Amino acid sequence: MSVRLQPELRNQLIQFGIGDWNACYHCGTCTAICPLSEKGFLFPRNKIRLMQMGVKDELETSVEPWLCYYCGDCTKSCPRDANPGELMMSLRRYLTSKYDWTGLSRKFYTSGVWELGFILVFAALVVIAFLFLLPAYGFKFTTELTAQGGVQVNAFAPWEYIEIFDWSMAAVVALLLISNILRMYYKIIWKDGKTTVSIWTHIREFWLLIYNFVVQPRFSKCEDKNYWLSHWFLMSGYTIMFIVIVVYLEWFQTDEILPFWHPQRTLGYYATFGLLFGLFVAIIGRIRKKRIKFQFSHVSDWLFLIMLTLTVITGILIHIFRINGMAWATYISYIAHMAILVPMILIEVPFSKWSHLAYRPFAVYFQQLKKHAVPRKSNQ
Amino acid sequence: MKKAGSTGVFIYNPPIAIPYPFDITEITCYLSSFPNVVRIWQYPDFPWSEKNLVKMITEHQLERLVIVGVLCGTVKTLFSKAMTLAGKNPRHVYLASFDEYGIELTKDLDRAKSLLAHMITDIPMEVNPAGIQPITQPATLVIGGGIAGIQAALEIAYSNNTVYLVEKSGTIGGKMATFDKTFPTLDCAACILTPKMVEVNQHPFINLMSYAEVQDINGSPGNYTVKILKKARKVNVQTCIGCGTCAEKCPAQEPSEFDFGTTMRKAIYIPFPQAVPNKYMIDAASCIYIKNGKCRACVKACPVPDCINLDEQDATVDINVGNIIVATGYKPFNASRMAEFGYGKFPNVLTSLEFERLLNASGPTGGNIHLRSQDKKGNWIFTADTPKPHRIAIIHCVGSRDKKNNKYCSRVCCMYSLKFSHLVMEKLSDAEIFEYFIDMRSFGKGYEEFYERIKSEEVEIIRGKTAKIEEKDGKLFIRGEDILKNDLIENVVDMVILSVGLEPSEDTAKLSAMMGIPISEGGWFNELSYDIEPTATIRGGIHLAGTCQGPKDIPDSVAQGSAAAAKVIRSILKGTVSQEHDFIPQEKIKSYLAEIEK
Repeated sequence: MSVRLQPELRNQLIQFGIGDWNACYHCGTCTAICPLSEKGFLFPRNKIRLMQMGVKDELETSVEPWLCYYCGDCTKSCPRDANPGELMMSLRRYLTSKYDWTGLSRKFYTSGVWELGFILVFAALVVIAFLFLLPAYGFKFTTELTAQGGVQVNAFAPWEYIEIFDWSMAAVVALLLISNILRMYYKIIWKDGKTTVSIWTHIREFWLLIYNFVVQPRFSKCEDKNYWLSHWFLMSGYTIMFIVIVVYLEWFQTDEILPFWHPQRTLGYYATFGLLFGLFVAIIGRIRKKRIKFQFSHVSDWLFLIMLTLTVITGILIHIFRINGMAWATYISYIAHMAILVPMILIEVPFSKWSHLAYRPFAVYFQQLKKHAVPRKSNQ
Repeated sequence: MKKAGSTGVFIYNPPIAIPYPFDITEITCYLSSFPNVVRIWQYPDFPWSEKNLVKMITEHQLERLVIVGVLCGTVKTLFSKAMTLAGKNPRHVYLASFDEYGIELTKDLDRAKSLLAHMITDIPMEVNPAGIQPITQPATLVIGGGIAGIQAALEIAYSNNTVYLVEKSGTIGGKMATFDKTFPTLDCAACILTPKMVEVNQHPFINLMSYAEVQDINGSPGNYTVKILKKARKVNVQTCIGCGTCAEKCPAQEPSEFDFGTTMRKAIYIPFPQAVPNKYMIDAASCIYIKNGKCRACVKACPVPDCINLDEQDATVDINVGNIIVATGYKPFNASRMAEFGYGKFPNVLTSLEFERLLNASGPTGGNIHLRSQDKKGNWIFTADTPKPHRIAIIHCVGSRDKKNNKYCSRVCCMYSLKFSHLVMEKLSDAEIFEYFIDMRSFGKGYEEFYERIKSEEVEIIRGKTAKIEEKDGKLFIRGEDILKNDLIENVVDMVILSVGLEPSEDTAKLSAMMGIPISEGGWFNELSYDIEPTATIRGGIHLAGTCQGPKDIPDSVAQGSAAAAKVIRSILKGTVSQEHDFIPQEKIKSYLAEIEK
């Protein structure tokens, strides 16, 4: 089979992060030091080789970039300062844009104007909806408080309507993400055309997907195990918040102020703590640049962190203002919360950094499938 | 004295050229202090067309043009043509080329200023105010008694001229004396080297000063006064018969420097059996008598009266020489700087020079390969009682081609590693050998053929450097990528040899300051011109030979030793030391400028 070399790939890849892959002289130190590199799934060196040569097809169908958890050992030991860890990170950004069929991902990664414009447009739509659309249906900003002295949030943003919106947004995001995962599946498992995987294998190995999503065990193979904890807190906090808001909004968004130990509040507090802890570690890390994985920050990395932090802060403010009966402050922070949350979910989950929540566990699953792949009969 | 005409200076530093090593404003300030400098142009403001140049020459009434910078010769033709068109003398375009005069580093600023002063005041660089220095001392000093120094010393001595050969350690022979075989011919190193060493010792024109160091160098080219510290050997070289009775009785033990610490020697010792001079010496740091004031076991045992004098002190001698050949060689890269390979932690991770001793018939195990073991006092040494290794890994490029250590390629490691493979196969027929390399640099005559030969000898040659060595139950675990097979290999071996690179020897910086020779990137002595003057330095009468100028193998070191000797013999025959490339000290320029002002 012939391999098509596309040297212009370099110019495309360079937009997805720093990259001097000409520095690499292929000593293999990075692959040897990598605790996650294994037989049949070697990285980072041979991926750098593909980048240097411009073997686009093989790069796009490789699962290895997602198997790297960026502990930075390769960058630390590289004798040429070629920074293989960041090259793998850039490759993940590139692959995210390749899995996406809309082409928006590429725009968001490579153009700040597109990304910022998108955020502003959706934020404006949210603000307009709250200021004009909901009042048109008869919902009011009322300063009248409940008997407990709390703000009547549901009078201004009724949970039924918000939930309908949540569900529709979740559907759009899920549709995009699932289609992207299917494209990823096609590229990784089917595109080479040489092997096939039985359906039984698909079913048998499915548990890996859930296990890797919940526990993220691959982090534990990296030398720096502390990061696993903060990442896990961030992920679990986010997941809890997502489920509670999308599925159980009726239970979560109440006008009644529940006692402190009510699960509604404790779960919310846990999720907030988890998010804040994870965000704190990541932001401080990216400022101090001590961990190798935090030394190089792409625009998308910062944007994600800033938007998520703002979402969490406005969420906390809603809660504080509501239980203290500060009506206008509650409404303003609610609108701000939604104006940041909506574009963030729309950009980050299907098109940008956050899509790794799906790609990472799926990659481990696909890797397992590839291990059990058998040669296709028709091609023998 | 004639005054130079009005001069225009062009500072040529295009972005594609090597950037100036120092601040450009300092250069411009210095240039503007000359009365005849009319104007200074910097690169982007150059009048690039002939027309503009001619206009500018006539406008400022320039008589002379000076182009300053790196690779400035490339623009000279344009300027000469413009001078002709403007009706001036086209020969009055002068190049102050930094690269030609060895101005590369920040500390070369003074030299850059001297060069500019020459060009602007119209004193050709060749005509030094000091004049051509007649060589008053026909004797030559060779610093370093390795193969390059030995070769140079013998060449000069056979032209019937006196040579002082100063060697820091107790024996000449250098690193080559520690080797078993040379690549690619697999000649016995000792068989080639020891006759030369003996020749040096017996030659009437060579004054061998072993266990001595150069302390100070004064004077000018052709007439240097060198102060040499003769360290107290405490054994009379004239009367010692080298019987070894003293060492038998000596109770103090130290790791042997000659064997790179792989075996123990006494406080009174001979570096190795074929040492030249073959006389014993006392290491003051480990001698019990020198430390505690009692012992004298060696004095009692010595059959020659008054041969051992434990109270002997260091002495200095001054010698006068016309030329100096620097052949200070290299030191191996300190492998413990790369902690991932566990050198110094795992006993059976060796450096290449330790392994050379292990292979050598005069080494600690008599040329048999054994695992390292601990002696009673806890020193890790080689003895012939331990088992032999079966699986040996050789890791290339340790400390070389590495931005964290030395960026350069050390040139010899690939070949000596291949040589190791061959010698191990010869000595342990059932051994398995794994060579982990990045790029195989077999560039010399017969080297590629040697590589092909090793490949055919069932040595596993793996493209891909390992990253880490771990030890478990005395076995060494190596994980590495086999790049050509696109596979990951996890290997368990008994012994790992780190092919360490070459580094300039410790005293290079000290000597460079003493002699006024610049040091290039990597710490090696800077030659005058890499291509056409590989042995000369910017100082007249000081020459380089061997690895002190850069990593090289034995044949190249020998060749350079002979080449340096040729330069010295030329200067002795001619009676002058070439001054072409010397520069004038700043004070002289100042006084000269003051004279012009009058």
